[in-house]
Amino acid sequence: MKLNRCPLLTAVTVAIAIVPSALTLPVLAEVNGSTAAQWGVEVNQVDAGDLNIAPEFKVAIYENLLIELAKTKQFSTVLRSGDRDAKGVPRLLILKTALESYTPGSEAKRAVTTVSGATKLKVKSQLCTPEGQVVLEREIEGNVRFFGGNLRATHNLARNVANVLKQATLPESNSSPR
Amino acid sequence: MFSSKTIGWTLRCLLPFVCLTGSLISQDSGQAKVPASGSAVGARAILGLEGISNNAAGQLSIQGDTLIFQPSEGSITRIPLGSLQDVFLSQEDKESGGTSMAVTRTITPFGGGRVIGLFAHKKYDFVTLEFLDSNGGFHGVIFQLDKGQGQVLGSELETKGVHVSRLKGDTAKQKPEAQNEVK
Repeated sequence: MKLNRCPLLTAVTVAIAIVPSALTLPVLAEVNGSTAAQWGVEVNQVDAGDLNIAPEFKVAIYENLLIELAKTKQFSTVLRSGDRDAKGVPRLLILKTALESYTPGSEAKRAVTTVSGATKLKVKSQLCTPEGQVVLEREIEGNVRFFGGNLRATHNLARNVANVLKQATLPESNSSPR
Repeated sequence: MFSSKTIGWTLRCLLPFVCLTGSLISQDSGQAKVPASGSAVGARAILGLEGISNNAAGQLSIQGDTLIFQPSEGSITRIPLGSLQDVFLSQEDKESGGTSMAVTRTITPFGGGRVIGLFAHKKYDFVTLEFLDSNGGFHGVIFQLDKGQGQVLGSELETKGVHVSRLKGDTAKQKPEAQNEVK
């Protein structure tokens, strides 16, 4: 009798231990994955306002944002401003970038003096719903102080924006963002 | 203050770096003087061209109603002139010699790197294109050309009916350190 009970008890214990973990882990992973990947983002053109900024900086910020946001894999899709595919994305956020301040630097000055000639950029980033509701708003900076060309500041800025968005808590995917 | 022995030793240390820097500068200027075949100009795609790595060197030309960038390696990119929204021409100072120059500058002792940094800069023309793809998506592309080549390309684009904006001052001349701020 004892001999018969032991294997049965062991089998039941093993089943209790293995089956839930085998079932729930992939399911949970799927749920988390779908939550993270359900939002799409459309990156709007950079609004320079009245600032006297070189056009290559505006374009470089925009293009670097597209690259850096795609790298984070936080969004299911990263769309360009005006992309007609945006209409087909059910959960879409819009990233608006407004330039707040810009300090033009000099690569030659940086090379010679090290301490001066930094290029500095500061933007206000807003993540909005298509209806215009602001989900997230941050002021973010990007600089180049020592190595690299002036356009390196735009890369650093875009990377900082992507990091901020990655750390931010986006609204639940199955509840309305409103 | 310094003995002649110290000065001699310092100069001997700096000599290889100065020679290396000189050869790098001459290599760079040599590349710049390569004559462009036909209407093609040597260009570097700094950013924004899909399928082409950043800073890829190649040839930029206009054929019919298409702007063509042919990289040294990889596939050709074609941008229809009709899709161009705006073209901006500007100038900027950049360090010449690339990574090897930057490394040389960094490892040169006794502040020699700063001296190299002072002379290893060159003005380049920047051509910024803004265009829409077939899906309506906005694209921005930055090309770096040798000084003077940007104007040539700009004039050619203007004759094809493309709107070209010429910016007078380069980025470096925009009162460095003077902050532009919107309040």
